[in-house]
Amino acid sequence: MAEPALNTVIELSKKATPELQTLRDTSEGELTEDVDALLLALDRFNVVASDDTTNRHDLLNAVAAVLGYAEMVLEQDRDLPSSIREGVQGIADALSTSTKTPETTTSSGRPLDTFEGCSVLVVDDLPENLDLMSRLLRKMHCAVITAESGEQALSLLESESVDLVLLDLVMPNIDGKEVLARIKQSEQLRAIPVIMISGRQDMDQIVDCIQVGADDYLLKPVNSVLLNARIKSGLERKRWHDKEEQYREQLEKREQFIRQTFGRYISDAIVEEILESPEGLKLGGDLKSVTLMMSDIRSFTTLVEHLPPEQVVTLLNRYLGKMTDIILEHGGTIDEFLGDAVLAAFGAPSDMKDHAERAVTCAIAMQAAMDEINHQNSADGLPKIEMAIALNTGEVVAGNIGSERRSKYGFVGHEVNVTSRIEDATLPNEILVSERTLNCLNKEKFVVGPSRNLKPKGIDETLAVFPIMGDAPSD
Amino acid sequence: MTSAAVLLVEDNDINRDMLTRRLTRAGLTVIGAADGQTALDRMRSDLPAVVLMDMTLPVLDGWDACEQAKADPDIAHIPIIALTAHAMAADRERAMSVGCSEYETKPIDFPALLAKIYQFLETTPS
Repeated sequence: MAEPALNTVIELSKKATPELQTLRDTSEGELTEDVDALLLALDRFNVVASDDTTNRHDLLNAVAAVLGYAEMVLEQDRDLPSSIREGVQGIADALSTSTKTPETTTSSGRPLDTFEGCSVLVVDDLPENLDLMSRLLRKMHCAVITAESGEQALSLLESESVDLVLLDLVMPNIDGKEVLARIKQSEQLRAIPVIMISGRQDMDQIVDCIQVGADDYLLKPVNSVLLNARIKSGLERKRWHDKEEQYREQLEKREQFIRQTFGRYISDAIVEEILESPEGLKLGGDLKSVTLMMSDIRSFTTLVEHLPPEQVVTLLNRYLGKMTDIILEHGGTIDEFLGDAVLAAFGAPSDMKDHAERAVTCAIAMQAAMDEINHQNSADGLPKIEMAIALNTGEVVAGNIGSERRSKYGFVGHEVNVTSRIEDATLPNEILVSERTLNCLNKEKFVVGPSRNLKPKGIDETLAVFPIMGDAPSD
Repeated sequence: MTSAAVLLVEDNDINRDMLTRRLTRAGLTVIGAADGQTALDRMRSDLPAVVLMDMTLPVLDGWDACEQAKADPDIAHIPIIALTAHAMAADRERAMSVGCSEYETKPIDFPALLAKIYQFLETTPS
């Protein structure tokens, strides 16, 4: 109650007291009783109202008593002296206008939804509000966790599993806005719906809160039907979020599976491409236009005949490791290693328009890398190696080939055999390409040597092959 | 006018006295209790037609007393009108949440309170 009203009542009662005392002493029956009680109530009120330590409850009781007796005195239909009637009426008016409460919203008869198994954290610095909210929430079958401060709320959020937060806006120290901000900044807590609870006078701050990420708000006094509806929609959102999260995890698992299946054979860029457009990859088998690459180390078997096994492995791993890097960098897919030989393809699993050119550029880079490999080999006392590369362009069947238990992405077809025949015809340090590969190239980009004709075993046609001497010198 | 008993639960003696007097004068039979536990006891022994319950009470407060009353099949049917401090605006919802049928703020609007009491007296077998 406002202070001025208290003082008005104290003043009015002082003025009315002498006359009331006279009335008490001169009247009889119920009027005497009522006036006596009113005087007693006024005494009590004056004591309580002048005491700074009085709590609201005691003050209100004192007010209620004065008002009640004042009304009873006024109800007496005997002729009250007008001065007394006015004095008592004045006290009653001052008290009743000062204590008028705006009508609160009434709950409709709507049945409340229940939320079994949902745990709701209620944060409010006033115990009576916590008590009210807890009771309302328990009616909705929620598990209730309460916090009397922002600090306590934040620590409970760390330790407890919470599905929804009802957050009082105005609290000492860490207020509702700050708690909200911390929840929304936290990776783990962000998804928990937060409903702000505030008085009508704090609407500006509520707008801020919604901008920061509050899901909804409720005005005090909280209406149970509205509370019920907002909890329902908040939990619904949380449920969708959780589902989304689950899907995302599944997708991630699938992505990881694809990466593990292909990652060692194809470049990261191609893996990304496959993941982004899964329809571009048919694992069942596909006729693909590709440029095949086959490389080997000349006379490898003879070369390593007298080397101890671990040195052979060192030599091979150094060479194959380097070649793998270069092939993947150029977008090639490694089909397999056969001892010192590498079979790779450009243009599968992902389609690639410039597969021939990429393959040739890659082959040139591979040959260029041999210097460094041989430099390292000689430092380690290993023999110098020479590599030859064959390239051929055509259609192959690309897909997962094998049995249920063991399968791998690979290429089969006549062109694979042709590539192998070309490889047989290569000279040390050479890059030899088929006519079809050459026809796919922008010939101005490369230096092409004189053609040779091959009549390979098991192949009817005569093959024209061309050595690539290197990149065309730039102007 | 019915003479069914109204149980008034109020710990503040001057208020209890005032309301008792007023209700009696209105033709009602009033029995009193000053705390929540006594209120429950009197509800069980006297089966009043209506209970007027101040919510801030010693021993057992009005909120818990209401919940306990509503959990007791013998007295759950007795309507309870909560009398609460106006300053706590949320009290109405809170009163409904513990099973009160009606609600009045202090200081009491006596005619309104009487109307609420009569409404229950008509619907409650006396």
